[in-house]
Amino acid sequence: MKLENESRGSSRREFLKSSSQVAAATTLVAASAQHVHAAEDNTIRVALVGCGGRGTGAALNALSVDNGPIQLVALADVFETNLKSTHTALSKHKDVGSKVDVPEERQFIGFDGYKKAIDCLRPGDIAIFATPPAFRWVHYGYAIEKGVHVFMEKPVTIDAPTSARMLEINKKALDKNLKVGVGLMCRHCKVRQELFDRIQNGEIGDVSLLRAYRMAGPTASAAVPPNTTDLSELQYQIKNFHGFLWLSGGAVSDFLIHNIDEACWMKNEWPVRVHAVGGRHYRGDMIDQNFDSYGMEYTFADGTKLLVDGRTIAGCKQEFATYAHGSKGLAVVSSAAHTPAKSRIYAGHNMDKGKLLWDWPEREENPYQLEWADLIAAIRNDTPYNEVERGVMASAVTSMGRMAAHTGQEITLEKFMSHDHEFAPNIADLTLDSESPLKANTEGRYSIPMPGLVKKQEYL
Amino acid sequence: MLSPPQTQSLLAAVVALAIAFSHHPSTANDAVLEVPDAVAKAPAEMKRYAEPIEHTELAIEMVPIKGGTFTMGTPESEADRNEDEGPQHEVTVDPFWMGKYEITWDQYDVWSEQMDQRRRQMLSIPASPRDALVDGVSKPTEPYTDMSFGMGKERYPAISMTQHAARTFCKWLSAKTGRYYRLPTEAEWEYAARAGTQTAYSFGDDPEQLDDYAWYFDNSDDAYHEVGQKKPNPWGLYDMHGNVAEWVLDQYVADFYSQNPKIKNPLAIPSTLYPRVVRGGGWDDDPDMLRCGVREGSSEEWKEQDPQLPQSIWYLTDAQGVGFRVVRPLVEPSAEEKTNKWDNTAPEQKDPVE
Repeated sequence: MKLENESRGSSRREFLKSSSQVAAATTLVAASAQHVHAAEDNTIRVALVGCGGRGTGAALNALSVDNGPIQLVALADVFETNLKSTHTALSKHKDVGSKVDVPEERQFIGFDGYKKAIDCLRPGDIAIFATPPAFRWVHYGYAIEKGVHVFMEKPVTIDAPTSARMLEINKKALDKNLKVGVGLMCRHCKVRQELFDRIQNGEIGDVSLLRAYRMAGPTASAAVPPNTTDLSELQYQIKNFHGFLWLSGGAVSDFLIHNIDEACWMKNEWPVRVHAVGGRHYRGDMIDQNFDSYGMEYTFADGTKLLVDGRTIAGCKQEFATYAHGSKGLAVVSSAAHTPAKSRIYAGHNMDKGKLLWDWPEREENPYQLEWADLIAAIRNDTPYNEVERGVMASAVTSMGRMAAHTGQEITLEKFMSHDHEFAPNIADLTLDSESPLKANTEGRYSIPMPGLVKKQEYL
Repeated sequence: MLSPPQTQSLLAAVVALAIAFSHHPSTANDAVLEVPDAVAKAPAEMKRYAEPIEHTELAIEMVPIKGGTFTMGTPESEADRNEDEGPQHEVTVDPFWMGKYEITWDQYDVWSEQMDQRRRQMLSIPASPRDALVDGVSKPTEPYTDMSFGMGKERYPAISMTQHAARTFCKWLSAKTGRYYRLPTEAEWEYAARAGTQTAYSFGDDPEQLDDYAWYFDNSDDAYHEVGQKKPNPWGLYDMHGNVAEWVLDQYVADFYSQNPKIKNPLAIPSTLYPRVVRGGGWDDDPDMLRCGVREGSSEEWKEQDPQLPQSIWYLTDAQGVGFRVVRPLVEPSAEEKTNKWDNTAPEQKDPVE
């Protein structure tokens, strides 16, 4: 039996090249950091709002940072089953179980659970927001008021008005010197960071074209079958949040944001306009609002293009990668999914092994863990740390592409940011018994985008 | 010149389509898809056959493996031998058919993405009793990522699935065809890999010859390859060495060979999630990991980068060199035998309650 302590099929060639086993990112953080957050001890307390799979994973990443005492003290969700399974998974976890202290009185069910969970924290502690993104601005506003640091999953907004609102709320966070991380973990990847430096230093010449792809089969809850459950319309939509624009921004916002963001990062600016195509082909009985293919063409101020293809159709070519072309050659930003990135640079525009100019032979650290190491280091060392503006811009640029596909129009960033269609204006007041902001017609179907017919907003 | 894996399959697919479109009147055995070459009462009647996957253009090619007794394990003299490969002992296995190739992405996705049912519905073909049965078999949750990791789909081997997913695929294939498919046992796998030979590899002891038979670390260029590109073993099975390591049914028990007195159809019924056995090595392995007798156990690290918690029961984010192939025993076990032995596994794998 194999004795090497390694994952199977993550190339051993890379593994052997690295001079030593990569230390966990977390041990790179000085454990002797000065403890400046306002508390009688240096324990960071964490509250998790949104107990889905990713939220639970984020809490695990948080508790795995080993540079001082950290403890999970509160959980909130609108579904009891989510909350219980999260509590079980974390409290019984062999590595972090001892850092979980969430008795029943700190487990909160309901739309106001976020307040109660944040109220369990002291200034200087951390709230994690991993609910569907529609609720982000509501939760963020309260957290900032209470003086806690925040980690929020991406996307952070899904329409124009809340994007503007989020930037406004964030001014208070900056004033209060609160540390805020946004779950665009690719930005924390060491390999991509080096690639960025190399591109900025002109190693591929002038960047003339970027391409980003997330073409896969059916993904997560993008395709939603009719509700045959006991759940209310609102609950069912939340369970299947990728299917509904008011909750998640749909398949575009949730799935394409990372690749769009890393492409814009390499270009080192945000695009100024976009037009797009897309449509619904194999939708059958599905009641969600998504298209099953999207093709977007973003344009930067200098005329350079970013092409983005998104597809969720089974059986077709799959690609999940980002590329940057320059006058001298090609940079592969990411190769397959998000990690390992296997970033590299070639002379010319083909991935010709003989023309490989740079790659990263060592094993890559997990960026989901790195983003947490970076956030907690900033908190313990009191260094400036706020990723919200970048998170909002990435979310807005992604939404703008989605809107271009859904309306069939060319949209400028300037126009988008001043757009007035807020998908769920009363979201802060939702309760478990509320009607959903999106209601089905008499046939149980929801309003879908109608490019060319409905142009002033994404759906009626 | 090797025949590409799916030339014969086309014919089979045409047959399947013909059956699908014929709406023949119900017979007593509607739960079994008719494939004349798949029928055998005795070992002598076993033929090669292609198992059509109804409502698709695909088929799974099956090779008869006559039952017999062989020496399982490796001699102490074998280079790179590990302790768990001994003691050598006589093992008897009953006859079975085995997949000529590793299960490909195209075949795997019929189940995981319900390609057959999608197509059936698009063509307005009414559901057969088999379609109704298939409906009852669970399928993986939608993945968040491209589980082929950019290495290619279609005729490349399916990878990154848990043993539970591979077992469930077999359950689905059984329902879909009316014939009983499962993963091989460790013993069946080694018997078929050796194909009557006693050497480290089915072609001898010299790793220098591996290039002709296998994709592995030195020649794979950091990725898997389409199935069936290299030479087969003496019994006509491709890629038993390398390309992807293959799931078998067993729990990994290091001293199983010495503590297991049963020498007929042995099986270590799994009772814990890790380690479970994969055989044959993959594209990222060195020659020693491709030997007929080498045993490898799964570990939690195979899910290291799954950012969800609880981690998925279907996917292994970090096992990009792990796949499987299927077998079908000549004599289908009784329901009781399936429950107690062949399909027996613990702990139960359930998706989180939604």
